[in-house]
Amino acid sequence: MIWKEKYAIGVEVIDRQHKELFERFNKFLRVVRSEQSMEEKIADIEETFNFMGEYVIAHFDSEEAVQRKYNFPEYERHRKIHEDFKKDVMEFKRKFEENKYDEELIMQFSGRLLTWLINHVTGEDQKISKYINRKEEE
Amino acid sequence: MKATYINPIFIAAREVFRNMFSIELERGDLRVDEKIVPNHVINVSIGITGDLNGIILFSFPEEMVFKLVEEMAGMEFKEFDTFMASAIGELANIITGNAMSNLSESGYACNIVPPQITVGLNKSFSTASKKILIIPMQAGNKSFDLYISIKE
Repeated sequence: MIWKEKYAIGVEVIDRQHKELFERFNKFLRVVRSEQSMEEKIADIEETFNFMGEYVIAHFDSEEAVQRKYNFPEYERHRKIHEDFKKDVMEFKRKFEENKYDEELIMQFSGRLLTWLINHVTGEDQKISKYINRKEEE
Repeated sequence: MKATYINPIFIAAREVFRNMFSIELERGDLRVDEKIVPNHVINVSIGITGDLNGIILFSFPEEMVFKLVEEMAGMEFKEFDTFMASAIGELANIITGNAMSNLSESGYACNIVPPQITVGLNKSFSTASKKILIIPMQAGNKSFDLYISIKE
């Protein structure tokens, strides 16, 4: 997943976190897609997944704080998207704990996550940027 | 089937492709058929329930799916696998979800069912309506089709 400057929303703390999130997701993705056997890569999958997962939660909190600061009108809707995502991640984690060698489950989850993250950053998060820019022009 | 369903679906697809891939989708001439016989190998169907019932099927050429997923992942893929299927399924899921959101502004309350991915030609799909609308979508130098089978 490659960070592009056009993804920036113009709020320094959020852009820095997005870049870090992309880096952490890439570490996870490289391990998941490596040609090692599941036995060889399982510890790295867990480590990179946790490394990314913890960061996502902290980032969502920061992003929601920015939205509250600017009275972003779609705050509740955006927060629900974050909450649904967190539930989805927890559900994956539960299934993963049940069978850590289920490669299909990991491939399914990480493929979906890739598209979800890019859409979220390029679609939903850009709405925050547009709103803040409009407010600052007023 | 009402043509009023078409625009909210097209707008959703256009926005997602513009945001995620910087591709300006263009709509080709609408066609009508009695059944869904996709032209392309990778097909993602998404069920719709609620005020509207039916399916939207995204039919993608394999080359296009590789290009889109490789661009998102920033890495090359050797074969179409579960990861790619899931990534492209989520893309169709997001577009359909946004389309249903657009349709809710016209008073239709709908839910969507998680995507089903089918690989191969000559597959048949059960449909909700007797008429299927087919929207050819031009995405840069590539194209894919949307099959819409919805009834109220």
